[in-house]
Amino acid sequence: MSIELQNVNFTYPGTDVGVTGIDLTVADGELLAVIGASGSGKTTLLKLIAGFETTNAGHILLNGEDVSRLPVRDRQLGVVFQSYALFPHMTAWQNVAYPLKIRRTAPAERHRLAVEALARVGLKGFEDRRPQSLSGGQQQRIALARALVFQPRALLLDEPLSALDAGLRGEMRDEIRRLQREFNISTVHITHDQEEALSMADRVAVMERGRLVQIASPRELYDAPATRSIAGFVGEANLWDGTVAAPDTVEVAFGRLATAPHGLAMGSPVTVLVRPENIQVGAGQVPVNTFAGTVVRDRFLGAVRRYDLAIEDSVILGETGIRGSIDIVSIRPEDVRLLPA
Amino acid sequence: MAAITTIYLVYLFTPIVLLFVGSFGDSWTNSLLPSGFTVDWYLELWQDGSFRRAFIVSLEVVAATCAICTAIAVPLAYALYKSASRGVMVAARIVFLLPIAAPPLVLAFGFILVFSSDELPWLGSLWLLIAGHVVLTLPYLLQTLVADMRHLGLNTLEQAAESLGASFAGRFFDIVVPMLRHSLGSGLIMVAALSIGEFQLSNLISGFLYRPYPVVLLQAFYGATGFACAATVVLLSLAILAAAGGAFAARSASAYRQSAA
Repeated sequence: MSIELQNVNFTYPGTDVGVTGIDLTVADGELLAVIGASGSGKTTLLKLIAGFETTNAGHILLNGEDVSRLPVRDRQLGVVFQSYALFPHMTAWQNVAYPLKIRRTAPAERHRLAVEALARVGLKGFEDRRPQSLSGGQQQRIALARALVFQPRALLLDEPLSALDAGLRGEMRDEIRRLQREFNISTVHITHDQEEALSMADRVAVMERGRLVQIASPRELYDAPATRSIAGFVGEANLWDGTVAAPDTVEVAFGRLATAPHGLAMGSPVTVLVRPENIQVGAGQVPVNTFAGTVVRDRFLGAVRRYDLAIEDSVILGETGIRGSIDIVSIRPEDVRLLPA
Repeated sequence: MAAITTIYLVYLFTPIVLLFVGSFGDSWTNSLLPSGFTVDWYLELWQDGSFRRAFIVSLEVVAATCAICTAIAVPLAYALYKSASRGVMVAARIVFLLPIAAPPLVLAFGFILVFSSDELPWLGSLWLLIAGHVVLTLPYLLQTLVADMRHLGLNTLEQAAESLGASFAGRFFDIVVPMLRHSLGSGLIMVAALSIGEFQLSNLISGFLYRPYPVVLLQAFYGATGFACAATVVLLSLAILAAAGGAFAARSASAYRQSAA
């Protein structure tokens, strides 16, 4: 079932904080991650889709049906909250069975379905445990089972992994993705963790100051961000101010950089983007974009090493698996991206 | 620290222990402890119709006060918690804290003025006594409930229930009420304890037929010491019984809700 937002506008009463002109579509069975800094409006977007807030203008459609004015309880959406929001006075199975109880499913049947749903999220044998006696990951699984057991029209995830520790977060990413695919349910996943968004989503939407600034596949978003701020927000990045010097060259503070042919007007100001992993250690095969400098900061991160190479007053951020000394780096022209200044 | 605690406990429990000892003492005049042993004071108390009746009245008043306070305080506390306006919240708090600030004596005079008229001739009735106890005890329960609601973060849980399809009534009875079981239990213990020991208001507004136990107890102080001690021990037992009953009622209601989930 698809989710569609048409020119959605909303401001919190008495403020100018909210979202403006949101247009987006989540296809049937698609997982769309919405990322953005704190206060960018991503949680407000989820509240609007869920119905916790009502739009000032625009429409929210679920499979073509306008639900903009429909109460939360009638939207039939599964919501997983950041804090899990499990009912502490109920056991695991009672939590999962609660939406079925509301739908007047017979007691024996709702017990069976709840136990089955818990087994699907890997919690067989935990049916009679209270949420507070379970780990964060297990509570998260109960929340997922509860949100899915009544076959909702779509799934909304509000920073569901932010309360988990790093190891468990990776495991739960895979688990959520597996369940989302298994149920083939359209999902909006709100997160501030860009790595989580890139690894889980079919597409990623980036929000800034209440506006949607780019929607793209994870690869496209990483490789071709629309703006300098998106490039800086999604992954590590070298972002340099530059000027177009030739159809395949830009001038930056520390020299000239050969690029792929770009078609920009001569003299245009641009932002030059090069991802750290695209900085090659040593001179390249083609003798272009080779720079000598001194490593001023070196961080060992296990699989890779992240370093700052100072060239005059500029710094190149690089990542490599090489552990030896670094004094020359090169950049392939096709790895140089030009963004609006 | 241990010494201070011990002194405090001795200070707290000595009168209770002396009451208990005195209630079984045959004679107690001008001595530190009573002499002799007897259960006659309790038998005399049991045979005294006015004490028996007062005992029953007190139980009735406590039970009704707890029930009415629960029926009023839970939705009222919820409404206050949900109130968006800070001004409304402050005004409501002042209004419901007034009975604590005003002495029961003032409240009692108000009751006498209003309910001794020909239009409202209810002074001396059981229901007016219960109403008085509700006014006096409601703020304590309300305060406990509102504080607990803030602590529990009910908003998110209610949003979760709403997203799962729960109506307002469903959310209130399935989530809010069971979540408040602990504070309701402790609040009702307080209500029961306050109601059972209430004297000032009851003494002024209760009629001859519906005098609660503390009012009748006053008479015992004019008689033998042993009788007064026995009557007071009964009041103490009644207070403990009422507090336990209040807590048990709150827990049972909550357990019933949970089993129905």
